[in-house]
Amino acid sequence: MGNKQSIFTAQQLDAYQDCTYFTRKEILRLFYRYRDLAPQLVPLDYTKQPDVKLPYELIGSMPELKDNPFRQRIAEVFSEDGEGNMSLDDFLDMFSVLSEMAPRDLKAYYAFKIYDFNNDDFICKSDLEKTLNKLTRSELTEDEVKMVCEKVMDEADLDNDGRLSLEDFQHMIVRAPDFLSTFHIRI
Amino acid sequence: MTSYSSRGFFNAAYHDSETLEMDRRSGTKPPHTNPYAREEPVRWGGRLGGRDEAAWGATDGGLQDESRRGRDHITTGAGAPPFPHQPYHNRFQADNRYNQRPQARLPSLVSDNMTMRLRGIAMRRMSMFPHASPADVDLTENAIREEMENDEQNLMKELVSMSTLEQTRAIRELTMSFEAKKRIRNKVLAFRSVKKSHEFTWFAELSENTSLFFRRCGYTMRSARQALELWHGIMKEIGGKFGSSVLTYFMFLKWLLLFNIFSFVVNFSFITVPLLVYDPNITSSVSFRGLELLTGAGYFTHTVMYYGAYSNETLKHGVEYNLQLAYFFTIAVYMVLCGIALIFSMASSFKKNFVLVDPASTSAWQLLCSWDFSVTSEKTVTQRKNNLRVQLKESLSEKAQQELLTVPEKLKHFGIHFCSWLVSTALVVGCAASIFFLCQYEGKLFSQWGPGAASLQQEAETLLVPFMVSLMNLVIPLFFSLFNKLEHYSNNRSQIYTLVVRNVFLRMSILGVLCYYWMNEVSLRSPSQCWESMVGQALYRLVIVDFFFQMLGSFFGEFLRNVIGTKLHRRLGPPEFDVARNVLDLIYAQTLAWIGIYFSPLLPSIQILKFFILFYLKKVSLTQNCQPPRRTGRAAQMQTIFIFLLFFPFFVGAISIVGYTSWSLNPSQNCGPFRGLNQAFSVVEIWIEGLHILPGSGWAVWIYKNIIRSEIFYFLITLIILGVTYVFYQLIQGRKELIGLLKQRIINEGKDKSFLLDKIQNLQSSRPKKDTRQSKDGRSSHQPSLGGHSDAVRQALLARQQAEQEEATYSDGVSVPADISTSSALMQAMLARQRAERETEDLYQRVEDPPSSFTALSLAMEARQRAEGEMLQDNSREGDFYENPTTASSAVSQAIQARLRAEEEASASSAMMQVMKARQQAEQEAGMQWTDVQLQNPAVSSSSAVAQAMQARLRAEEELPASSVMMQVMQARQQAEQEAGMEWAHVQPQNPAAAGSSALIQAMLARQQAQNEYDDGY
Repeated sequence: MGNKQSIFTAQQLDAYQDCTYFTRKEILRLFYRYRDLAPQLVPLDYTKQPDVKLPYELIGSMPELKDNPFRQRIAEVFSEDGEGNMSLDDFLDMFSVLSEMAPRDLKAYYAFKIYDFNNDDFICKSDLEKTLNKLTRSELTEDEVKMVCEKVMDEADLDNDGRLSLEDFQHMIVRAPDFLSTFHIRI
Repeated sequence: MTSYSSRGFFNAAYHDSETLEMDRRSGTKPPHTNPYAREEPVRWGGRLGGRDEAAWGATDGGLQDESRRGRDHITTGAGAPPFPHQPYHNRFQADNRYNQRPQARLPSLVSDNMTMRLRGIAMRRMSMFPHASPADVDLTENAIREEMENDEQNLMKELVSMSTLEQTRAIRELTMSFEAKKRIRNKVLAFRSVKKSHEFTWFAELSENTSLFFRRCGYTMRSARQALELWHGIMKEIGGKFGSSVLTYFMFLKWLLLFNIFSFVVNFSFITVPLLVYDPNITSSVSFRGLELLTGAGYFTHTVMYYGAYSNETLKHGVEYNLQLAYFFTIAVYMVLCGIALIFSMASSFKKNFVLVDPASTSAWQLLCSWDFSVTSEKTVTQRKNNLRVQLKESLSEKAQQELLTVPEKLKHFGIHFCSWLVSTALVVGCAASIFFLCQYEGKLFSQWGPGAASLQQEAETLLVPFMVSLMNLVIPLFFSLFNKLEHYSNNRSQIYTLVVRNVFLRMSILGVLCYYWMNEVSLRSPSQCWESMVGQALYRLVIVDFFFQMLGSFFGEFLRNVIGTKLHRRLGPPEFDVARNVLDLIYAQTLAWIGIYFSPLLPSIQILKFFILFYLKKVSLTQNCQPPRRTGRAAQMQTIFIFLLFFPFFVGAISIVGYTSWSLNPSQNCGPFRGLNQAFSVVEIWIEGLHILPGSGWAVWIYKNIIRSEIFYFLITLIILGVTYVFYQLIQGRKELIGLLKQRIINEGKDKSFLLDKIQNLQSSRPKKDTRQSKDGRSSHQPSLGGHSDAVRQALLARQQAEQEEATYSDGVSVPADISTSSALMQAMLARQRAERETEDLYQRVEDPPSSFTALSLAMEARQRAEGEMLQDNSREGDFYENPTTASSAVSQAIQARLRAEEEASASSAMMQVMKARQQAEQEAGMQWTDVQLQNPAVSSSSAVAQAMQARLRAEEELPASSVMMQVMQARQQAEQEAGMEWAHVQPQNPAAAGSSALIQAMLARQQAQNEYDDGY
């Protein structure tokens, strides 16, 4: 426990604890996880806030994300630059949102962004198709994809504008309680 | 000209309709200094070349592309890529620099780190500043920034007014990047310390320190709790490999384990430890033989394990410790605490999982919510993908199938359901009856033994009942699942629920029979025996045997099944982990422990051991033998159901049995803490009577007499609770209705929106049609509001034609041209037309635009008219003398500018503004060119300049997205005008300087011709 002081200052740790759902121990564990991705890049001393960013290739190779069909989207959504290159802060933020403690609305907001592939603030049919292809390894026929997407729109699109807004999505999440337990990565 | 000015409206409508929603968001589009510059060559090419539709389409697409791109930059969220328009971006950043507060550690207030929330608001506000002309950009930008600052300040205010705990929670919940969160947190902290410094310094420091201390304490507590958390790594592994539905079982197991640990700690420290301290030499007369571990009898009979060994005395080591009271209250408090914990977790689980569950939205759920992000093994991921695909396909085909169910088929299904329910009920009843008779037989057997130690064989015989019970619990559910396979269920969930209900029924009836036997037969046996200890032993045996059967169950159910599935019948494949069955086993085991807590206070220790071993056993069995479940049911709902089951029949059953025992049954007279009493509860009565002597304890006596022992109190409480429940029930009904209404409203609003969009589109497409129709059948148009304008236009056109014809006849008939008359005729025609156009505008405006734009436009029109009049005069004069060509061009540019100004005011949406801007630019360019050219060589190139201007205008007009009909009209007109211009140009050089009026006449003729063509075009 002695070496934690040399990694972060007490203020930094307080800030991390205030801004994430993690405890000191978890923050340190996550830091080591982060550092293990590229020990030569990440210094052991974060008191001076070094500007280190790990490229997406490294982030995406974490065992927690490696097999996730949405790993690239997750990294993009949570990274500051939108391209999946993550600083330690982004990294902590990502796992904080994906942790058990995060409330539903926060999770829903980020899940919405993950599914919104073209970043237009709406989940439109093309986004749904992309999601579907990612989830089924593109093995459905085009007609089936279309039918499923239409069905989803039918069920979830409350205002009939042909796309899902964040409100539609949240409304759906409220009715699908499993989301809280499935949108969750244990670290 | 009509369409020239009315285009603006078209544009607005078009933009509104296609991008009504996006428009709000795309407001902050960076100002394109010349967004269409790239497209220019294409457009010119298309224009001059084929004048085909493609050119229009291309520019159209360009516009949309541009707007989408703009939007992308804005909405990329935390990681927005830098704006491509660097200067803009830089300025933005530069501005930010003076927004920093001293305490803010991080730079860049707005652009990239701008929160989504703020951003969203900013987007919306942006639509109020649609004037994206260069002059307005600064204003708009400032407005956004102010807006955002305001929002941030509001946020800060909100945060500062909260308590520390709420603050932290609110900060964590902000949907913004980590940097922004940190910045806001720092600001809040700084603000707080500033606020504090106004107070007494020592106090401020103290409170600051205490708040920091408490916060750190809280974090330390959380850390400690996490350190105590069991099996974190294993849970992660299981979740990663098998998904959260299987994990539910292990979570449940862990939760029950915690219950038992708590109960063991409480019982051990409040009941057992005092007894051991008081009387450490409880020795058994029987030596330890080993079989006791299974039967719980023999050596264990007189140990602290069971009720019988506990004393009824009061310890006097300084303080008095009444063992009777301790026994009673410990168990009562534990049961009550268990009940409260169960109710709370059940309620919160219900709140989370069942409030608005909508079984209809399966596809949406499957696609968007069912993916388990915790799954980390590649094999499982591929399998899940396959499963999802199969499920989606099934749900697609199910929908088609459902309607095809005929009446005989339905009857058949119903019959099968009925039969299987009948058979399973018969099975359950049979089991219960056989258990009861078996118990009675065993009781007779025991009564023959007499007091004293039983032989090994006799002791082993006691295992018969628990063995049968566990066997039934193992085998009968297999029949149930067999029935379940035969039955046809419309959905997976009702299938699972039926299975669960039958299993619960089975276990409840077996337990019920056992309890009945214990309460009514065992308790009435000869008073020499300690019947509570006997019940305790029976429960001990049940717990132990159940444990072995659970191990056997995982051996047969999972290991053997795996061997069969992978070696013998490859088609079967490895088994799935049956969460429902395993959880029911756990619930059953826990119920035994709850019932047993009165008869055997240390039973939880056995339970802890059992659950602990079971956890590892199941984990190994799962990872070695099972495959991830094929159907990912709604795990959270299942969990809620399990907690509910644990509470309702099982815990309530257990607590009522314990309550009945202590309230109504005679405790054994020779053993146990309550010996010599009529009921266990009498201990409280005696205690209260003893309290009478003590001063200051009157309230306890009063409470006991008037609340605990008074029927009227319970009666009132029951009434009140019933009333409250009814009120809440009515509230729920009301809320349900409200929810239904609100849902309907959302749907209606959606319909409204789409209806309005349709309407706008219709209007937009009908307008150009009007233009084409106006010369033919102005009166017969469908919409009365638009009927008048076409008529006016037609009149104007007629007047103009007349004028032009007059002009033509003049020029034909008289060799010496009458300059003034022709020009005046033309002027008249123009005026008439203008009037008509104004009327048209008027109508358009009345249709959909705000009045302000109307007046502005009419102003513009006037300016333009004036300018055109001048221009005409100039032209005529030009034809005569070629004296001042510059005035004409300047007049034109003036007019254009005036119009631009007016239109700027009038325009409604930012997109239209952009188009207008582009157009203005084009026109200005044209005007400038005109001036340039005319200055250089006034005579020859003026006409070509006109052509150029025309082209520029065309270009500008081209940029306006409009419907195809409109485009065609415009093209026709443009063609005509261009031809006219060309001819004009063609004519003028032929008659240089001196040739004045005839040239003009010719030009006019040509123009009239063109105009006629143009009219024909309509």
